Amino acid sequence: MIEIKNLSVRVGDFSLRDINLTINDREYFVVLGPTGAGKTVLIECLAGLHHFRHGEIWLDDADITAVPPEQRQIGYVPQDYALFPFLNVAENITFGLKARHAPPETINDQVTTLAHLLHISPLLNRNVRTLSGGEKQRVALARALATSPRILLLDEPLSSLDVRTAKYLRLELRRLHEELGVTTVHVTHDLIETEEMADRMAVLNTGHVEQIGTPAEVFFNPRNETVADLVGTPNILTCDQVKPIGHGLVEAVCGGMSIVLPLQDGGIRKIALFPRDIYISTTKPPGPELNRFKGVVTDIQPFSSLMRLKVRVGKNQLLAELPQDIFEEMDIKTDQEVFLILKLRRLRIH
Amino acid sequence: MDFGRSHNWKGITSERAFKAATISCLVLLTFFFVGIVLSLVTYTNWETMISTLVSPEIIFAIKLTVITATISAALAILAAIPAAYAISKFNFPGKSVVDTILDLPIVISPIALGAALLVFFNTPLGMIIEVKIARFVFEVPGIILAQFTVITALAIRLLKSTFDGIDPRYEQVSRTLGCSKLKAFMKVTLPLAKDGLIASGILTWARAIGEFGATVTLAGATKMKTETLPVAIYLNLAAADVEKAVAVIFILIALSLVALISLRKISTTRYHL
Repeated sequence: MIEIKNLSVRVGDFSLRDINLTINDREYFVVLGPTGAGKTVLIECLAGLHHFRHGEIWLDDADITAVPPEQRQIGYVPQDYALFPFLNVAENITFGLKARHAPPETINDQVTTLAHLLHISPLLNRNVRTLSGGEKQRVALARALATSPRILLLDEPLSSLDVRTAKYLRLELRRLHEELGVTTVHVTHDLIETEEMADRMAVLNTGHVEQIGTPAEVFFNPRNETVADLVGTPNILTCDQVKPIGHGLVEAVCGGMSIVLPLQDGGIRKIALFPRDIYISTTKPPGPELNRFKGVVTDIQPFSSLMRLKVRVGKNQLLAELPQDIFEEMDIKTDQEVFLILKLRRLRIH
Repeated sequence: MDFGRSHNWKGITSERAFKAATISCLVLLTFFFVGIVLSLVTYTNWETMISTLVSPEIIFAIKLTVITATISAALAILAAIPAAYAISKFNFPGKSVVDTILDLPIVISPIALGAALLVFFNTPLGMIIEVKIARFVFEVPGIILAQFTVITALAIRLLKSTFDGIDPRYEQVSRTLGCSKLKAFMKVTLPLAKDGLIASGILTWARAIGEFGATVTLAGATKMKTETLPVAIYLNLAAADVEKAVAVIFILIALSLVALISLRKISTTRYHL
C-alpha cells in the first residue's frame, strides 16, 4: 500500500498542495487531471525524483520519503518513454537488471518472459530509434517491469499514440496488470482511459486533489463543479421504474424518458450520460425509435471550442455538446425542437 | 488583382536580393581566407619545404606540439566534464558569477593569461610549486599549463551546451532502474554525450595546437626545448627565414584541416531521435 500524507511541493511552474492519497495493493489507480494540474510532479515525487519539505510517502510500513529512487523498487515509464538511444531493445530491457548486478540466467529469463508477455520478441535486436510509438511503449514497459518493481508508475503512457494503438494498448495494460498484479499509478488527462482502466481514481486540479473514488462514484457524484467539468459534466438520470423486456434487455423510465439497456446485475438506479455521447439532429432520424428522443432547446452556451445546449426531454434537462462549426451549420436556436440519439455503449450505470 | 501580383514580385525580388547579398559576403570572406593561404605559396620553395619537414628542429616541434596539445586537451576535457555538468544541471548560489569567470579565459588575450601565470610562479605559493612539484617557467610543463589555461574555458563552454541538450529524463529513468547518481552519469549521460565529448576534444586539441601567446610568455621560445609549431613560426620569422616559417604554417594548416574534417564527420553521424 502506498500512502501519500500532506504532500506539498513546488517544481518549476507546477506545485502540489496538501496531497493525501492511499493506493491499495494490486490496485490500478488513475490520477485524472488537465494539463498543468501537477500530475507528472506527483508521479515524480512517488519515484523519488524530487525532494520536498512538507509531507511523507509511505510504502507499506516504511517511510520512503527520503529513500533515493534506486532503492524504491519502482518501475517508471515517462511520457516520452526515454528509451536509451545508444542501446538496442534487449539492452534497454536488461539495463536495470545489470545495474542491480542480477545473475546472467535471471537476466535472460526476464528478457524472454517479458518479451513474450509484451509481444516484443521479434524486436529484441532492433535499434530503439527505428521503433514505432506503440513498440516504444511496450519496450519502456518491459524495461520498467524487468526489475520486478512493487509499484509501476505510468506518466500519460498512451498520450502520444494514435487512437487505434492507444485503444489496443489500454486493453494490453489492463491484461498485464491482471497477470502481474503490480500496484499501478497511471496519470492521464484522458477520461476514456480513466473510465476503462481505473479501479479507483483521483481528480487532480491545480495541484490539489478534488475527489477520490471509483470511476462510478466520481462520475455519478462529482463533489463540485470543477470535478463535474473535468469528468465531462454528465447528465445524471434517476430511474423511476425498471422493467425487463426480454432478450437480456430492460426498459428504464427516467423522468419520462424510456431508455432500453442491457440487463444489469444489481439493478439500475441512476444513469450517467455524457454530453459528448448525445447526438443532436434537427430532422427526425430514420430507423427504429429506440433510445431516440424529441426535446426542446432551452439554453445555448459556448464552452471552449464547443457549444453546450440544454435540451428539455420529459422532466429532464439534458446537456449536449456540438462542435462550433456543426452548430453553426445546423443553425439551432433556443425553443427549437430537436432530436436526441443516445450512444448506448457510452451510458454509465449505477 | 494586378496589385497583388506586383506586390508578390516585389517580395520575391527583395528576397533574392537579400540572399544574393549574404552569399556575396560569404564568398568574399572565403576568397579572403583562401587568398591568404595561397599567398604563402608564392614564398614556397618546395626543396626548402621538404628539407624543413625532415629537419630535426621541425620534427621536434611537431612531436612537442602534438604531445603537449594531446595532454592539455585530455586534461582540459577531464576537468571540464564535471564543471560543465555542474553548470548545466545544478542551481547554486553565485552560479552566474562562476559562469562569467569561466568565460574570462576565452575573451582575455592569451599573452595576458601567460603573464598572469608567470607572475603567479613568482609568488611564494608559485615558487613552492616550482620547487616541490614541477618546474613550469620556461619548461615543457609550462607549455601544457599555458595551453590548459587557454583551452579549458572553451571545453567547459562546449560541454555545457552538450549537457544542456541531454534530456534529464534519461538520468531519472536510470535512477529508478537502480543507478546511483554517479552510476546514472557514467552509464547514461556520458554515452549520450559521446559525440559532444569527441567534438569538444577535437576543438580544444586544435586550439591547443595553435596556442602561442600564453605558451611563449610562460614557457619561453627556446629552440629545441619549448619550441612548439607556433613558436617555430615566430622564431623563423624573427630570424628572417620566411620559407621555413611558411613550411611550418603549412604543417599547422594540415593539422587543423585533419581536426575540422574529423569534426564534420562526427557531426554528420550524431544521434537523431
